[in-house]
Parts: sequence; C-alpha cells; structure tokens
Amino acid sequence: MQNQYRLGIDAGGTFTDFILADRKGGVRIFKVLSTPTDPTMAIRNGLKLIEEETGLSPETIVSNSDLCINGTTVGLNALITHNGAKTGLIATKGHEDSIEIRLGHKEDGYRYDPEYPPATMLVPRYLRRGVSERVLSNGTVHTALNEEEVREACRHFLREGVESVSISFVWSVLHPEHELRAGEIVREMMPHVRLTIGSQLYPQVREYTRTSTAIVNAYLAPILQRYVEAVDAYFQSLGARHPVRYFQSNGGLALGKVVTDQSVYAINSGPASAPQAALWLGEPWAMKDIITVDMGGTSFDITLTRDGRANVSKNIDFLRYRIGIPMIQVETLGAGGGSIGWIDSMGLMQMGPQSAGSEPGPASYDQGGERPTTTDANLILGYLNPDGLVGGRLPLNVEKARKAIKTHLADPLGISVEKAAFGMFTIVNNNMVNAIRRVSVERGYDPRDFVLNCAGGATAAHITALAREMGIRKVLISKLASGLCAFGQIISDVKYNYMAPAPVRLEGAEAAARLDGLFNQLESRGTEDLKSDGFTDDNISVRRSLDMRYVGQVHECTVDVEPFEVTEAALARLKAAFHARHEELYTYSEPQSAVEVVNVESAITGAVDKPGRMEIAPGKGAHAALKGTREMIFNADGIAHETPVYDGALLGAGDRITGPAVIQEVTTTIVIEPGWLAELDASGVYLLSQHEAHAARVLADAVTEDA
Amino acid sequence: MPKRNVDPITLSVVRGVLETTQREMTLTLEQTARSSVFNLAHDYSTALFNHTPEMILQGQDIPIHLGSLIPAMKSVAGFFDGDINEGDLILHNDPAYGGSHIIDTCMYMPVFYEGELVFWTVCKGHLTDIGGPVPAGYNPNATEIFAEGLRIPPVKLWDKGKPRHDVMNLLLTNMRARRDQEGDFNALIGACQVGARNLKGLMDKYGKDVVQDCIAELLDMAEAHMRKLISEVPDGTYTGTAILEDAGHGFGDFEIKATVTITGDSCHIEIVSPPQIPYFINSYEGNSHSGVYLGLMMFAQLPPPYNEGLYRCVSTDMGPKGTLCNAKSPAPHMNCTTTPMETLTDAVRLAFEQAAPAKVSASWGHANGCNIAGWDNRHDEEYVTMVLASIISGAGATASQDGWHACGPECCFGALTSGDIEMLEHSYPIIIHRYSLMEDSGGAGKNRGGSGTCWEVEPLDSPMTLITFGEGRRIPAMGAAGAKSAMVQPKVGRLEVTRNGETQIITENVIETIQPGERAANKNPGGGGYGNPFERDIQKVVEDVRNGLVSLEGARQDYGVVITDRDTLSVDTEATAKLRAA
Repeated sequence: MQNQYRLGIDAGGTFTDFILADRKGGVRIFKVLSTPTDPTMAIRNGLKLIEEETGLSPETIVSNSDLCINGTTVGLNALITHNGAKTGLIATKGHEDSIEIRLGHKEDGYRYDPEYPPATMLVPRYLRRGVSERVLSNGTVHTALNEEEVREACRHFLREGVESVSISFVWSVLHPEHELRAGEIVREMMPHVRLTIGSQLYPQVREYTRTSTAIVNAYLAPILQRYVEAVDAYFQSLGARHPVRYFQSNGGLALGKVVTDQSVYAINSGPASAPQAALWLGEPWAMKDIITVDMGGTSFDITLTRDGRANVSKNIDFLRYRIGIPMIQVETLGAGGGSIGWIDSMGLMQMGPQSAGSEPGPASYDQGGERPTTTDANLILGYLNPDGLVGGRLPLNVEKARKAIKTHLADPLGISVEKAAFGMFTIVNNNMVNAIRRVSVERGYDPRDFVLNCAGGATAAHITALAREMGIRKVLISKLASGLCAFGQIISDVKYNYMAPAPVRLEGAEAAARLDGLFNQLESRGTEDLKSDGFTDDNISVRRSLDMRYVGQVHECTVDVEPFEVTEAALARLKAAFHARHEELYTYSEPQSAVEVVNVESAITGAVDKPGRMEIAPGKGAHAALKGTREMIFNADGIAHETPVYDGALLGAGDRITGPAVIQEVTTTIVIEPGWLAELDASGVYLLSQHEAHAARVLADAVTEDA
Repeated sequence: MPKRNVDPITLSVVRGVLETTQREMTLTLEQTARSSVFNLAHDYSTALFNHTPEMILQGQDIPIHLGSLIPAMKSVAGFFDGDINEGDLILHNDPAYGGSHIIDTCMYMPVFYEGELVFWTVCKGHLTDIGGPVPAGYNPNATEIFAEGLRIPPVKLWDKGKPRHDVMNLLLTNMRARRDQEGDFNALIGACQVGARNLKGLMDKYGKDVVQDCIAELLDMAEAHMRKLISEVPDGTYTGTAILEDAGHGFGDFEIKATVTITGDSCHIEIVSPPQIPYFINSYEGNSHSGVYLGLMMFAQLPPPYNEGLYRCVSTDMGPKGTLCNAKSPAPHMNCTTTPMETLTDAVRLAFEQAAPAKVSASWGHANGCNIAGWDNRHDEEYVTMVLASIISGAGATASQDGWHACGPECCFGALTSGDIEMLEHSYPIIIHRYSLMEDSGGAGKNRGGSGTCWEVEPLDSPMTLITFGEGRRIPAMGAAGAKSAMVQPKVGRLEVTRNGETQIITENVIETIQPGERAANKNPGGGGYGNPFERDIQKVVEDVRNGLVSLEGARQDYGVVITDRDTLSVDTEATAKLRAA
C-alpha cells in the first residue's frame, strides 16, 4: 500500500506552520506558536493539535507518511542573535583579518551616520590563527604547510574552549591539500569539535567569500547538529519509515546529515520554497514566468522564476555576513501590515521599514499602538472588514486607525484622512514595486512578461494594485496563500549543489576538455550521492551554470545551461549564451571580446512524487456567495464607493467576479480593483486578469512608449 | 508644505523612482566595468541632473566625487550651450572644466523628452590609466599637469546618435591597457543609458510637468532641511586649521585654514591655502568643493538621498586662483582627491567642531597608497592599476562608538571596497602576502579610532613598478573631543620595502622598482580617537589587547592601563589608577 500522507513543518519566527497533504489532493494547514528556546517542542505541540482536530495520532501520521519535511529557523535565529558556537579560524598567515576588514566597505545608506556599528565578529580576532603556508594563483605551492603552527592553533583553541573550527587558506580551491592536512591535525587533536573546510564547503574562487561562508557554517554547525539529532530521534520514535528531509535555502530538500555538515545551506530556507509553490500553482496554465510576493506583518519577500527556474544569488551579504553558496534569491523589504507611516526630516511621507510588529501592533488592533500602519490604511480604505481579521477573532477599531492617520500624517500634510490612507497604500505599494525591480529589472527581465503570485496573509489586499503598477496582466491567488511557503516545501525535490573553480579563458581544446572533465566529475559525484539515497537515473536531473565574464571584468554573470558535451566547437555555444545574458542584463555585449570562466556549478536534483491537487466543485455563479457591500476607496481622490463583498468559501469552480470587489477568505482578504476579473479554478486558485477595456488602455500606453 | 501644485504622495513616489534609477545605474557600472578600480573598488559615482542643470540625485558613492560633479556638469553644459542634441554623449575629465583629477573620467548623457532637454544622466569613474609618462597617472615627479596624462575638455563621443569612433580611437590610443579603458567607457555609457531609460519611463507615467514640479519641490525641501540644521548653530565665525605634511616635495609642511561663518540659516566657508606648487598635490576648484562638502556632511550627518538643494545655503570661497586649494593650469594635480583634499576636509571639520561640538567625530586615516604596473607574462600583456586595498585606513571614532577598522580613507568614507585578494592575484601577476589590521594603529581615545591596514605585495615573476601617493606618514589622524595618542609611530602610514633581508622605510612619494623575491608593504594610518583615552573603560582596553589591536605597551602608554600578564591579561589596578591619575 502507498503511503497516505505527506507532512510539512515550517518553523517561522512567530508561528510554526504544519501542512498535512493526502494523496487525493486534500491539504490542511495548522499553526502553533514557535518555541525558539526548544524548537522541537513546537513540533510536538503541532502534532498534538493535529491529533485533537483530526483524530490522527502522531504515530499514525508519521508512520504513514512518504515524507516528513522540516524547514527550520534555528540556524537563522542563531545568526540573528549571535548565539552560535564558539568558533575558531585557521587561516593563511597574513590573511587572518579578511573577515573583519570586510573589503574595507561600510554599507550604503549609513555613509555619514556616526552611530551605525560595525558587524559583530562571529570569530573574534584572538580566535583567528594564521599559519605559514601559501598556494599561488596558478595552484602551485609557494610555502609548504607548517604543521606545528596548526597544532599550536589547536592548543590555543582547546584552552579557549572552542566548539567549532573553520579552516580557510588562500587559493585552497586550486590545491586543497593544505586545508585537508590541517583538517586531519584538527580532527586528531580536537576530536569532538565540528570542522568546516573552506575548499570542501564552497570550492569557488574568492578568499573573503569562502572564508566568511566557512565561518558562518562553523558557527552554526553545532546548533544544527543538536537540532537535527533531536528531530530525527523524535520522528524515529514515532515510527518514521523514511528519514526526515530538511528544507534548504537553495530551494531543495536534504538529509539531516547534509544540513549538519553544510549548515549554511539552512539559513534562509523559509521563503526559498515560494518559487516551487508558484510553479505548481501555475502548472495548469503552463505558467513558468512568475514573480511571487509574500507580505507578512513586518516584511515583504520577493522571489522569481523565469522559464521554470528560480533566480539564484551567490556571493551576497546576508545579515551583514558574506555568503557564497547558491541560494534562491529572496529580496526582503521592511514592508508589511505593521509598517509605520511617518514624515521624514525632509517632510516627505514614508512607509516603514519600522514596524509596529504584533505588539503593540497597528493602531486599529487597539492594543496601545498609536502610529498609523499599512493595516490601518487598508481598514480606512474599506478593504479590511472592521468585524475583524482571521474570521472575526481579531476585531479592528476604525476610530483608532482614523485618529492615528489624522494625527501623524493627514494633519501635518494638510490632506484628508482618506487621501492620506490612499497615499500610505500607494507609497507602500511603490516601495514594493521598487523592490520587485531588484529580482526582475536588475536581473534583465521585464516584469510585464510575468505572472504575479500572491503568498502570505496580508498580500492579497495589495496584489491587484501591485500588478497595475508593474504593468502585470495576470495574478494567481491560491486558497493556501497564507501558508504557501510551507506548502512549497512539501512539493520540493531533493537538491544538492556541486561546485568547482575553473579559471580558464574560453578558447581551445584544452579549456573545453577541462570544463567537460570538471562537469562530469561534479555530476558523477552528485548522481552517486542521490543514488545512495534511493534515487534512480529516471528521477535525477542536472542543471549547469557557469560564472563567466569578459576578460578584465571582475564581476561574473551566471549563465545557466543544459548539460551537453563541452567540446572545442561547443565553446561557441557557451560564449553565445554569455553574450546574450550580458546584453539582457546591461544593455550591451561585446561579441569580439575574449570571455573567461571563473567558477562552474552543477545542481543535481532528485525528483520527489507530488501529492494530488485540490479539487473544487463547480459553482452556481458568484451571486450565491455575495455577502453584502462595504464602502471602499480605489482612487487618490479619496471618494468611497459601495463595493460588493463575497465569501470565498461559498464560491465554486468557474465562478467569476468583476472588480471592484472583495473576496473574503478565512486567512486573507482579496481586493480586486476596478478593471480586474477573478475566476476561481477547480485547483483552488483564483486567476485574476485585466478586463478588455482596461487591457486596451494598457496596450495604448505600451504603444505610446514604443513610439 | 508644497508650494507648487505637487501632490505629497506623488512626491514620495518620484523620489523613490529617482533613487531606484541611480541604484540601477550604479549596479550597471559595478557589474560591467573592466578595471579593478571600478568594479572591485567602487571608485565611481552616478548622478542625475535636471535641465538647468542642478543635481537632483547623487547616490551614496564616493564622497570625493560628491561636490565636483556639480561644477563639472554646469561647465560641460555651458561649453556646448546651444548645441546639445538628442543622441549626444559627452566625455570630459579636465579640472579646468570642473573635473577632479584627469584619471576620473565623466560621461554625460542629455535626456530628451518630446524634443526637449529634460535631464542629464551622469557618471564618473576612476580609470586605471589616462596616458602620460607614468602608468596609472600618479606622477610624483610631474611639475605640470601635462606630465600627468591626457586632458580631455568636454568632447562629444556621440553626435546626434552617431558614435564618433575617430574620437574614441584617439583617446584609447593614448592610454595603456586599452582593453580595460575601452571596457570601462562601455560601462559608463551603459549606466547612462539605463538611467535615461528609467527617467523616460517616469515621465511616461506621471507626465513631464508633474515630474519636473516634484523635482523642484525635492530641491526646495533639501534646501529647507540644510537651512534648519545650520540655523541650529549659533551665529558666528569659526575656524579650523589643519597641517598638511610634506610628502616629498621639499617645500615643508603647509597650513590649510577653513573659516566657517554662520549667519542665520546660511553658511559661508572660506579656505586659505598656500600658493600652488610644482608637485602633484594641487587641487582645482571642483575637487576642493568635494573636500568642503565632505567636511559639511560630517557635521550634517544626513541620510540619503542627496541633491544640490542641500548646498544652496552654503557659499564657498576657495581662496585666490593659483593657490593649493584653488589651483590653475598648469598646476600638477593627480593626487588631489586624497591630498590635499583630506587635510582640507579636516580643516572644515575642525571649524564645525568649534561651531557644533556635540556633532563632532574624529578624523579618518588619510590615504597613503600605491599604484602598480608591469608586464603580465601569463597573458603577455601590460598591466596597470591603482591598488585600492593599499589605501584602506581606519575610521575616526565618534561620540557613541569606536571607529570602524579598515573603512577609510577619509575621502571615501567607507564607500570603497578593496577587492578580493584572489581576484587581484588572478587579474595581476602579484602575490599578496599580507592584508591585515595593525596593532596600536587606531588613535587612542575614550572611543578608539579604527585600525589601519597593511598590504604587502611581491611581484610574481617580473619586475613591478610601484608608485606611492598620499600622506599621513608623519602626522596621525586627528582625534576629537580631547583625544590624543602617546604612541604615534604605529598610527601613521609608511612604505616598507624589503630587499635581501633588509627593510627600508619610505615616508615620501616615490617610484620604486620591486623585483620578484622582494616585498613592499604599504601601511595605512588608523583613525583618530574620541575623548580622553585615560577614561576608556579598562575592560575594553583588555579586550583590545586580547584581540591584538593594542599591545601591552600601547595599553600602558596610550590608555594608562597596566596589564601584567599577556596570557591571563590581569590588570594591575593600583598601577593603572596611579598612571591614569598622573
């Protein structure tokens, strides 16, 4: 008999979401409070809650699940609170300080701020030890490793009580032997510490990035290890038939052992499942170009897939620490339901990034918050039901919202409360639009070619406005939108990244042979790893990428390619892909110039069976779901209009609603602006598109632009 | 509130789009530029101007470019007055037309809308070479600007959309490492195009008139803001004098004096400096604007975005033509963006320290760096570059915290990045033996100055020309609020060349040839401290000793803290109290 269930557990900062899916397309979401001090406690609490609500015991669910998937924030939290392990670094002598020099740069936005502090060092200077050794840029040894100095560093670490050691040497990627030998000495002298070796964790050129990545990994490894051991043991005690899978920031699943050794892959996993969820939702319409936006209480996360593949970031600063490994690109903006509206020192209205959070929360929560927030604006505009959010469990106080907006914004600017509220709505939307450009325009993509997908509880009130601002014509909103990331995890595949440095110019048979050899090596390693985990050639797939640039450039652009044999003749194909990508990104290319590769990577994916889709019965027409009307404001003039409100639970497949209108779902409120048409699909997804009349206007605008 | 018919919401939106536009221009430059100076070091700036032309947005790029783009843009627009057409693209570097130094090359693209000039998108970047006798432009032996490289007065690279390949070829033919320079020109053009595209989109959406009204309003609001800050300072005349050390010209130390006169909500800044000299440290007026504005911003401490409205209430007088801070042709000037600019900035900062003592922070370490050039046997080609890693100094301490380590120099205020050492070794045939912080280099104070850095290099397999520039090798970064260091030597910069086991310490600007097997270590000063070092928390001094940032001797001399044991770090409380009381 087939396994009946798939269980997903996504720990967030405030809530831990549980997704229980069955083979027939049934999906249920449960939420419990997260328990940061003992993260496994929330898992027990959640399973208990599911038992109370469904009668299914934890043993029944776990022993009948084909997969139990866990997205965890223990690593992220340790990094935010600087509560990682006591970590030491062994570096090439003379280069112990690269992680504190941080390329000599102070983050933009704080240039003249006398109070912006330096980043907290995960490894303080006295725990960074240099040893004599040196490899040159061509991979040859300049100075042999001084093993006694490595031993001396270990003795120092032992005296200081170090729990985790990272080793990172200059050019170790071209000659890993020194790092490996130093690692043997550490293991021998400090058998109980966790060990991270730079060239093994992140075998790519760039010393600062590699060292910093290794340090973050070492800092988190003991924390992840304790966590994974506890979770694995708990699931085994419940009779799990398969190992627990952990969700990674590369958008794929991994075994606990992998997350323990490569903890840095676990740090920003939460929003990284959005692209996978988006592709799943869009599949019935063959949509592959999708931007997903997820607005919560304090932040707004954006991800993008192009032609079915998610944007990937490498070599970025995350929480002020440089991290190299490929992660799903997640742009985060301080814009959420709790974002505060204020007037800056120049006299301009701004929204966020300060947030009222959940305490005291927006003024309309009536919990002592006096500052006007996005939620308050949405309430004044009539988008939110004053009877309350979350099915009436949280009533909203319109007068408090009105007073906050009047005092802090409308009066100082000399405009009405309604106009100020629409201004807040407009400004927060524009902040989001500018952030969406970072995943689209800055990546060489025109957002108008994309579908906009809605995730998170607060997003649906803004979604048609965002689409309008970006010139996007189609929008997806799933009934699961508020738990979309947790859902994305349970439909994700196992994925590992294998990297190698490859500093070669793209010319000649030798270069081709080197690249071909490297890719084959990486891919046979990856395939072996997945096969030993039960995957077969049928469900293993490979995707390659190369970091390339014109000779003399220092920044690379990453070019994705299908696997093919890299012969001398095939180099032209790689070059053509690079020129095209460069032009897409930067408006020009230089077909005559020499091209070089710096790093190569193969992402190996083991496909996991997908659960069934939701099936909604055909509807009898939207009028059956009409609950009443409410006054709403859809224009800068601040004038309110009677607008119909529908109950989403009463809508059936094929039912259509024309904007302006609001659809109330239990965990979200969908605002449909004038000019939009929503249709509920049998798969539980609303597809919103622009009316013809409106589309004609957009078309006219586009023509003017071209002219 | 708004005087024009400007809706406050649209105003916020327009400002957001301008910021995004500038960001995307910067990103284009960073990602596509060829030379390490551009793309590793971020030694570039982008800005937007309106038709008048007033600067309507400058990003958070290099402060040394902050002021000089303003007079340069006006000068360039004036030069082609009546002959600015759609599809034009103008190049310029000459300080006689408001440029900073000729190695900083500016690209100006007029943006037309419905046939009318509405905006300019502008960027400026430090090329790796500009021709002339010495690679990378810095020539300590130059006695005239003509010995420093190619002066480019405003010249059209595109004329009504038609690229002038002959002009480009003339320029490139006169520069070393042609491929890099050509790539950097393309990057500058790409950035201007990205900016123009975004601004046209903005006008499509809101209409030209609304956008222009919003921008006029944003300029007025910035002006009002600066006026408010200045009006909070008591009326009066405040002066600051900073000493510029003799870095090898033989004319001795110089004084640069700044007088800040506050009258109500406006401010006049007057600079007095000695006559110009036949050495590469003269600053033309455009560059001096940058130095003065940086001193002003250290006082104003404003968050971005910035526009020219900020400076409407600030008038300047750089002194008579022919002086160090208001040079005239043919004064050599290549070093001007660091020397004398940082000393000029210090003088302005000191004057504001008198005017607004609560807002003072200490001076940052001055730039004392090197350029390198030679032959790359790996690819059989010439290489030349400024080494930005060699000028990363310590930041000054502030009233609230220790200075950042490795964040300077003062003229860049943390905007540079020094580049990954593997990337540098990949790009140039060199071995970087050391890139580290330095013990005792941060200025002593209740809050300590940030540590300076040491950058030590050896050529891989062929002789390397190494040219030094800057200063800060004898006079340490100035402290604030009474900070003073007892141990001065580790806090200043120098070049140490080691040949056959013997180390030579060089404190002047020189051109040296370094052979494979020899090493050159360029050391940069730390930042100034803030407040009395004897009031520094003893535990903080102990932590600095534990981390090797302060030596046992430094703890005693600079901070009056007596630590008896290097391993246990135990403090002799009695001896410490006695020392600190003295």
